[in-house]
Amino acid sequence: MINMDIFHGFLDAIHHLPEMAQPTALTDDERLTRAKAVMRAKTDRGLALDLEACVNCGYCSEACHFYQSTQDPKYTPSRKLDLLRRVHARETSAFAPLKRLFTPDITVDDLKEWQELVYDSCTECGRCSMICPMGINTARGVNVMREALFEAGLAPLELQAVAQEQAGRGTVFGVGPTELKQTLDVLRAQGITLPLDEPKADVMLVSTVIDVLLYQDALAATARILNHLGVRWTLRSAGFEAANFGLLAGSEALQKAATQRLIDEALAIGAKTVILPECGHAYPALRWEGRLADGQPLPFEVLAVSEYIGREISSGRLQLLPAKGEEANRKITYHDACKLARHGGVMDEPRAALQALGMNLMETTPTAEKNWCCGGGAGVFLLNRAEGLRHKAWAIKREQIEATGADTVVVSCASCRLNFMAGAEADQWTTKIDSVVEMVARQLPA
Amino acid sequence: MDLLDWVRGPLLIVSLVIFVVGVSWRLFAMWRLPVLHAPVAPARQTFGTGAALSAAFTRMVPSGGFHPSATLVTFNPYVFHIGLALVLLGYAPHIAFVHRLIGLSWPALPDLVMYLAAGATIVSLLLAMMFRLTDPVLKRISNTDDWITWTVTFLPFITGMAVIGDPSATILARDHAIYRGPLAVHLLTLELLLVWFPFGKLMHAFWVLPARMQLATFFGRRGVRS
Repeated sequence: MINMDIFHGFLDAIHHLPEMAQPTALTDDERLTRAKAVMRAKTDRGLALDLEACVNCGYCSEACHFYQSTQDPKYTPSRKLDLLRRVHARETSAFAPLKRLFTPDITVDDLKEWQELVYDSCTECGRCSMICPMGINTARGVNVMREALFEAGLAPLELQAVAQEQAGRGTVFGVGPTELKQTLDVLRAQGITLPLDEPKADVMLVSTVIDVLLYQDALAATARILNHLGVRWTLRSAGFEAANFGLLAGSEALQKAATQRLIDEALAIGAKTVILPECGHAYPALRWEGRLADGQPLPFEVLAVSEYIGREISSGRLQLLPAKGEEANRKITYHDACKLARHGGVMDEPRAALQALGMNLMETTPTAEKNWCCGGGAGVFLLNRAEGLRHKAWAIKREQIEATGADTVVVSCASCRLNFMAGAEADQWTTKIDSVVEMVARQLPA
Repeated sequence: MDLLDWVRGPLLIVSLVIFVVGVSWRLFAMWRLPVLHAPVAPARQTFGTGAALSAAFTRMVPSGGFHPSATLVTFNPYVFHIGLALVLLGYAPHIAFVHRLIGLSWPALPDLVMYLAAGATIVSLLLAMMFRLTDPVLKRISNTDDWITWTVTFLPFITGMAVIGDPSATILARDHAIYRGPLAVHLLTLELLLVWFPFGKLMHAFWVLPARMQLATFFGRRGVRS
């Protein structure tokens, strides 16, 4: 059961995040210089190709939940790369000396205007890339813009606060090894075996602050499934946090540091597999972007927990009890988290897991890699000023779920789950919100 | 030496040189940039150049699953690009022009097809302009490049219509051009397009395949159908 007091406490903590931030005092010139340095350094061949290929057709706006829910053209995805495009045109493009004569340089005011465009109104969901006739990876460019704004000290205070906490104290929302152990003790009291800091294990399970505080059932469910499968696994107090606020805020250094903690712990115990919790952005951050310090590939497998479970079910190693009675008649639908599905490729495995439940699995329209974002990803859920905009975008998601006729929407991303819960509470939405791992654990054989 | 001699001779050469050198420089300037994001993580599925190329071509098909848009907005670019290709490559005098320039030749399409294609292309360009002037998104994101590119693309079609008073067989049967002035203007607008090409978004003709292949590879390695 989710403790709604903790949920509301979490929302309250978000409101106070800006007070905890320690923004760097910079002059306007310093902000501009820093931002442009990042933009220049990050404009490689791939990004330059994306910047130059845009034909200003505007199709990307059709895919963007922030534009579609507001009809405000300022949210057109291609426009979010305009500052990068201008810096590239003036400094790194083929005709830079010529372009400088006609292309105005960017200003600090531009950077401030772009804060809303690349943080509040972009979840880097990548849906716009699916429709773009030129195949432009807008989300990647937006992430570079976030890096530029972070260096300029213009990242939202909420994200600065959490990223600074994660980099400094190694905790997120005050959750560190002590709080993890407290939660594990609570779950152990329920009879669940939860290994912590085992010196050697085949599988390292990673958790996240939201699971430790709020979705403890998801952590318990994962443990029960791993125990049922007889896996030699452990959590590690020095590397249990999957959430990567360096990535969300736009700090490559903090992103790497957060990832490195997980890598170091996995290497220390000789893990063959690292299982990430139901946390969307953690997956591409480690599975697709993670690498050893020398640039080599990770010597272990990285799986999202829903991916792991789906794989075990498909291979026959994990068998579930069929749903009985009313449960068998439940109509469920699955929400593909953008970072897991569109940016991660984890689409078939969660469905394999849900199909094994023996309920009626209904697909949304559109679905899988074209699914609508919930509106809260990439840290947007933490931005107080984005609350109204986020809620408008959420309406698209809500209507999409309602159109399936499902009584339950199943997610596999704690961030999406938070956004669903907040949206549901605001709209008095009665559709049940559940998690893949928790539903699977409920049908484990005794 | 009248205007037609100039535009068929020195000006054509100058515009072709600007086009070839400009495009080559722009391609080289892109290629010389470093690659910062070479993936190292093991791919979920093998996704080579062939798969990326295939994905790049299938992206030409309108993608389902998106918010319904005005059919005309989706349909119009197809009309324009197909019409442009037909007129540019299928009209007998254009083929004769290329033959005289570089010695290559191929069968022409019937004049009626050309007239219809040219008409449809002009209408599609006018519609594109109307969308850009009226659609809130397009109004917001349009820039000088869009207007210049539209103009230099539109002009060859309009000036071309002024020199098709006769069937192409009649035009080609003559040993000299009789509409020298209009033909010179038509060629001048083509040269204007060639000169502008490397500097603006007409370069998308060269970027479309690598950009699509880059995204297809990004997604494809991850097992995502794009």
